[in-house]
Amino acid sequence: MTLRRTLDGLYLFSGWLGAAFLAGIALAIIAQVVGRFLGFTIDSTETAGFCMAASTFLGLAYTFKQGGHIRVTLMIRHLPPNLRRSVELFCLAFTAAGLAYFTYWAADLVYFSYVIDEISPGLMAIPFWIPRSGMLLGLMIMTTAVVDEFFSVLRGALPNYEANAESVFEPIDEIGR
Amino acid sequence: MTDPALVSLVVFGAMILLLALGVWVAVSLTAVGFIALFFFSAAPTGSLLASTVWDASWNWVLTALPLFIWMGEILFRTRLSSDMFHGLVPWLQRLPGGLFHVNIVGCGVMAAVAGSSAVTCATVGRMSIPELQKRGYNEQLSIGTLAGSGTLGLLIPPSIMLIVYGVIAQQSISRLFIAGLLPGLMLIGLFMAYVAIRTKLNPALAPVETVRFTLSEKLDRARLLIPVLLLIAFVIGSIYGGYATPTEAATMGVIGALILAAVGGSLTFASFQESLMAALKTSCMITFILAGAAFLSIAMGFTGVPRVIAGYVEAWNLSPYELLAVLTVVYIILGCFLDGVSMMVLTASVVLPMVDKAGIDLLWFGIFTVIVVEMAQITPPVGFNLFVLQSMSGRDILQVTRAAMPFFFLMLLGLVIITAAPWLVHAPVQLMLAR
Repeated sequence: MTLRRTLDGLYLFSGWLGAAFLAGIALAIIAQVVGRFLGFTIDSTETAGFCMAASTFLGLAYTFKQGGHIRVTLMIRHLPPNLRRSVELFCLAFTAAGLAYFTYWAADLVYFSYVIDEISPGLMAIPFWIPRSGMLLGLMIMTTAVVDEFFSVLRGALPNYEANAESVFEPIDEIGR
Repeated sequence: MTDPALVSLVVFGAMILLLALGVWVAVSLTAVGFIALFFFSAAPTGSLLASTVWDASWNWVLTALPLFIWMGEILFRTRLSSDMFHGLVPWLQRLPGGLFHVNIVGCGVMAAVAGSSAVTCATVGRMSIPELQKRGYNEQLSIGTLAGSGTLGLLIPPSIMLIVYGVIAQQSISRLFIAGLLPGLMLIGLFMAYVAIRTKLNPALAPVETVRFTLSEKLDRARLLIPVLLLIAFVIGSIYGGYATPTEAATMGVIGALILAAVGGSLTFASFQESLMAALKTSCMITFILAGAAFLSIAMGFTGVPRVIAGYVEAWNLSPYELLAVLTVVYIILGCFLDGVSMMVLTASVVLPMVDKAGIDLLWFGIFTVIVVEMAQITPPVGFNLFVLQSMSGRDILQVTRAAMPFFFLMLLGLVIITAAPWLVHAPVQLMLAR
């Protein structure tokens, strides 16, 4: 049970980090505009871009658990429960394998940019391995989440992305807060 | 090099299979890109995957997307949604067709804020469906207006769909926003004219509203509506005037939305956090798809498939108008199974070079595509607006679809109009550039 809690905590924490980086885009832009008024140059083009990438990748696992990633369920929705479960397992295994491959090559990219000391072209001249590590970390967590999901469906649980998926109708009940 | 016809077959087969099995769209796109590169080219697949996806994910142009989504999520959590109906009623009730226009204009305003058509439709409909029913408005027309105008969110700036198009077609987001303005207003006009004519012909569809409001009542009821309209005008205006990039405008939009929420008393730590997490979810979903699509289009470039398909199409010798007609049909069919973003992204690597070669302006084509995607939102079996209205009205999908059909054809008419009069798209952009 502690493993369960640790993993869920990991996905949520990574989601919070992703959200912080999303807000970071706005902060970077504000810094640039304020800097322009005060007469010094802050180049936020790259910083905002790096925040964007970090936000996307760190948010992957959280979005996945919440059923945020889009898929076509039109055909598989009508399958009998047993077959449907096999298809879900296939989807998860396929996705996990693909992500593991991607994660390996993302690690390769980070390592390579560290070794040759690749620097971003903008004013800030940030070593590329730093923002790229965000991509790597996000992919590692996402891969973990998909593998985790595979085993929980294998044990007979309803997939989280199905259970948590807010139907398009849910916002209706949320209005009026 | 392998035979491109075989490659096309394998690539499309794999794509359809993966999507049909329910593999996540972003994953399917990336996987198909992998298949194309790994089996049909000599390129280093793995490192190309990592570097292409990385390059696509820190694209400066893309940074406007999460911010506009966040702005919508903040405003969505204010009292705006509930004020929408009461705020608009006094202004629109005297028009022929009465409160049907509240549906249309309400969706138009919500569209500018929310950028998602299902949310737009649900937000406005929740208030107006029971209210209109109580007052004796025709239910079918009420559902139809909601279904149709709910899709406006995709076109009216700041539009998420136009940002997505701008990124994949490498068109300026600022120009796309400005280009979407008149066609968006034109669609609202078409919908309103349709409602007015229908109710003139058959007065039984709508009761006559008799309550009068004084100006101060009107203003009081529109308390939150007016500041939000001003905020949107400010955001679009700063882009139009060339004072701000879309990302900067979006940042101001977020700040403005936070201020409005704070003044309105709905800004708490919990609602702030909720809005940010909701924005993360949507933005993460879209950018993951875009990153996968960037890899797919590089992979397709290596295999030469787009060139071959463009060659086939060229051999048919279609005029630009015929090509547009064919694409419209293809998109509408695709729209029966896919959502707008996936549809646009999937077809981009093949369709855009083809369209460009036929001499069709890519800026104009962006507006065209978004209207077609709007139409796809109200075609069964996968039409998100239909699902929303089905659950809210308690009618079955057939009745809802029938109610929405006139609006499908009105949008088709809209397509014909912008094709016949492309200046509707171009003129505001020229005006902006000329300043």
